[in-house]
Amino acid sequence: MKQPRKLAKWFVLLLLLHGIIAAAGFFAPYDPVEQDRERPYLPPMSIHLMDAHGHFHFRPFFYPLKLREGSFDQYEENTTSAIPLLLFSNASSYHLLGFLPARLHLFGANGARIYLLGSDAYGRDQLSRILYGGQVSLLAGLLGAGVTLLLGALIGMAAGYYGGWRDELLMRIAELFLALPWLYLLFALRAFLPLAVSPFDSFLLVVVVIGMVGWARPARLVRGVVLSVKERDFVRAARGFGASDLYLLRRHILPETAGVILTQATILVPQFVLAEMTLSFLGLGVPEPLSSWGNLLASLQQYNVLVSYWWMYLPALAIVPFFLGYLRLASALQQSTVAYKIDEKDLWNPS
Amino acid sequence: MQPLLKVENLGKQYPARKSARAIDNFAALDAVSFSIAPQTTLALVGESGSGKSTLALCIACLETPTSGKIFFEGIDVTALDQNRQLLLRPQIQLVFQDPASSLNPRWTALDIVSEPFLVQRRFSKPDRAVRALQLLDRVALPRKLAGRPVGELSGGQKQRLAIARALALEPKLIILDEALSALDCSVQAQIANLLVELQSSLGLTYLFITHDLAMAAHLADHVAVIQRGRIVESGPARKILSSPTHDATRSLLAATPRLFESPREPVSF
Amino acid sequence: MRYLLRRTLHAVFLLLGVSLLTFLFSSLTPGNYFDEMRLNPQISPDTVAALRAQYQLDRPLPIRYLHWLNAVAHGELGFSFAYNTPVAPLLWVRARNTLLLTGTATILAWLMALPLGVWSAARLGRAPDRVLSWATATLLVVPDLVLALGLLILAVRTGWFPTGGLVSVGFEELSPFHKLRDLISHMTLPVLALVLATLPMLVRHIRASVAEVLDAPFLRAARSHGIPDRKLLYHYALRAAANPLISLFGFSVGTLLSGSLLVEVIMSWPGLGPLLLEAILARDLFVVIGGVLLSMLFLVAGNLFADVLLYWADPRIRTAASAK
Repeated sequence: MKQPRKLAKWFVLLLLLHGIIAAAGFFAPYDPVEQDRERPYLPPMSIHLMDAHGHFHFRPFFYPLKLREGSFDQYEENTTSAIPLLLFSNASSYHLLGFLPARLHLFGANGARIYLLGSDAYGRDQLSRILYGGQVSLLAGLLGAGVTLLLGALIGMAAGYYGGWRDELLMRIAELFLALPWLYLLFALRAFLPLAVSPFDSFLLVVVVIGMVGWARPARLVRGVVLSVKERDFVRAARGFGASDLYLLRRHILPETAGVILTQATILVPQFVLAEMTLSFLGLGVPEPLSSWGNLLASLQQYNVLVSYWWMYLPALAIVPFFLGYLRLASALQQSTVAYKIDEKDLWNPS
Repeated sequence: MQPLLKVENLGKQYPARKSARAIDNFAALDAVSFSIAPQTTLALVGESGSGKSTLALCIACLETPTSGKIFFEGIDVTALDQNRQLLLRPQIQLVFQDPASSLNPRWTALDIVSEPFLVQRRFSKPDRAVRALQLLDRVALPRKLAGRPVGELSGGQKQRLAIARALALEPKLIILDEALSALDCSVQAQIANLLVELQSSLGLTYLFITHDLAMAAHLADHVAVIQRGRIVESGPARKILSSPTHDATRSLLAATPRLFESPREPVSF
Repeated sequence: MRYLLRRTLHAVFLLLGVSLLTFLFSSLTPGNYFDEMRLNPQISPDTVAALRAQYQLDRPLPIRYLHWLNAVAHGELGFSFAYNTPVAPLLWVRARNTLLLTGTATILAWLMALPLGVWSAARLGRAPDRVLSWATATLLVVPDLVLALGLLILAVRTGWFPTGGLVSVGFEELSPFHKLRDLISHMTLPVLALVLATLPMLVRHIRASVAEVLDAPFLRAARSHGIPDRKLLYHYALRAAANPLISLFGFSVGTLLSGSLLVEVIMSWPGLGPLLLEAILARDLFVVIGGVLLSMLFLVAGNLFADVLLYWADPRIRTAASAK
């Protein structure tokens, strides 16, 4: 059976990726807010097994960077002091999954600073920031998609099941929302709400705004399913036994919509993560000191950063494997059973 | 003796858009009247589009007629409010034509047969399973199929399941809406025999809707022919078949395949 | 004809609905908005008071909406505080720049997508099609934010392209040919970003629609009549597959104003996008409303345009419409 295996493959990949981000505390060597003003904008450091004298070491190590002679922003490796890399080291404390206190990190340098992906203007480790930032961006995407799907499913079910003027009205409103360019709508919504809020409130705001923007398409899809299921004889038969509307919706109609909702989820989550990144990048989303993939890229708006510090672009690449996983999962779902099928048109991501 | 079911001047109209301004009414049923005596079978015969299914839905209280009355055991069902109607529903059950759509393909056979109990909130959970299995026995379905999803059963088995489900609430009247039409010939015969046996052992009354006059003859005591929403002829089965009076009846009769006539003989009306 | 009238009416309703929504959003916190304005030292308290009076914040919502609608109908979109100029002319200039960008990108994308999609559909499943599918899938996985930023970094580090703006300094003194060259060099990167962002999806849709049609019996009959392949593909197959593609094209037209926001901001192209962003950050209310409304107008017009095209191109729609 080819299809389920493909499905499983991508699902497992996504699970792994999400797992790494969820366990950011373990994989990240440092606390993302830990600054080191002495080491701003350091380029990525490499891990060595062979030292400058040609000796091979089993334990990987790295060289700290020092300023090149006569330059004030060019760095080179200081080959005089090799700092060994420790696997599974105990360093700064963190809370795994938000509540389990822990101190174990995948790797560390016993106090020294190794910047695998470089550092930013305040000397903060980019790798750590990317990992922790992923938590914010992914959560925003997942929650946003959750809100949208919940809203869309409820509205779609109500419209499809009850029909009549309610259906007409709801679908007209949905058409209106569909006609709006979602990015603009997002911006407009965000604009008219207070700009200066706490990071947590800002995050919540982003989720709510994202969630409220995209409900129209899922609503239409769910409504379509409900309309077709409603007329099936097994629903009629159940009504013949005296089943209530709620029972019919819950036990017969809802399970039929699960497929469509799942496929929509795989399409919406990456879109919404991207939406959060866009908002944060432009300064309308999650603010500092909370890091998200979006606001990690914000420094790129400065010309000097763009020219000299190319590693500040790396957070942008973080989303690519996730996009890949979700899109492949979506197409695998589409190919598996009719229950998951959505019209190719609806896969389009309008902006 | 009082008829179990009496339908008087039943009418059902659907609004249909003729153009942007005018809405015409399409009459699916027009002044339909008949009655069924208890423990007998009335066959309602007509071609597709004649309004048979609409009639079935009205009698089962799943659609509201626009005019006329329906009497069940002397009670005017059409005059009852929603709640009282709900109380009456278990007594009239439907078996549909296509078991693929009348049974939820994801559910198991056991779940389907026990669904009426679930909806009506009768019996405890273990009791429901016991009774469901008994129903399966009644319709000669092997118990080992109980745990299988319905999609895996054959057409005949599914229809037996549909009948078992219809029996769950111990109805007095069962409406069979083209219940045999989707089955293979040999399976049809088996199910027909099952129905006859159930009628005599459980004292059921059947409203058997079909387009096949020959089948009607086999199963029914009385026959009513319906055309374009109107009853055009009715009477005892034997009489209708041997000497039809209406054109509709005659064409239905001609449409049924007969193995005994020579193909060269012109069909005589 | 009736059909077109209905669609136009529908479009107008849509616009009204959208304007209502926009207006409602903007009045979510009008008090707060004007309070913030009062805190802004650049705007005199008299201006604030005058604006409050003009926008009649004391009146009930429906009346305010009607007044506003009336103003908009007269082309009066309000006043921009950040730029100290009426909104409408500001919007037109920026919109023109945006359209230059997106218009070019859309035309290019379609010109490339059509032959690619058709060619791919004709060789469904074989090597060229697979390569193209792989390429589009890869591009799809890279969101436009990542793409645009990446291109920008490329430009900066290679110095091959200017990194922002519409034209260089000293543009006026150049000869017409050099002017054009300058403009094109500034446009290259943003257009590239836009084309790369939209091309994959276009190719996929075209390929899917044409592939579906290629199976049809009437095409096989045509081929057996000896009609050459290229004519088959473009004259027959593409025509038959036109319906969903026309809707798609209408959609492309509709997003001419709104689809390039991110690219414009990143590439510093002086279009509607950066204006809207600045206005949001500066709480320049009327610019935001005006910008949103203008892009909405385009979206609705795009859909209407698609409807008209469909009506004209597909005889089935015409006969169905007149039969009603």
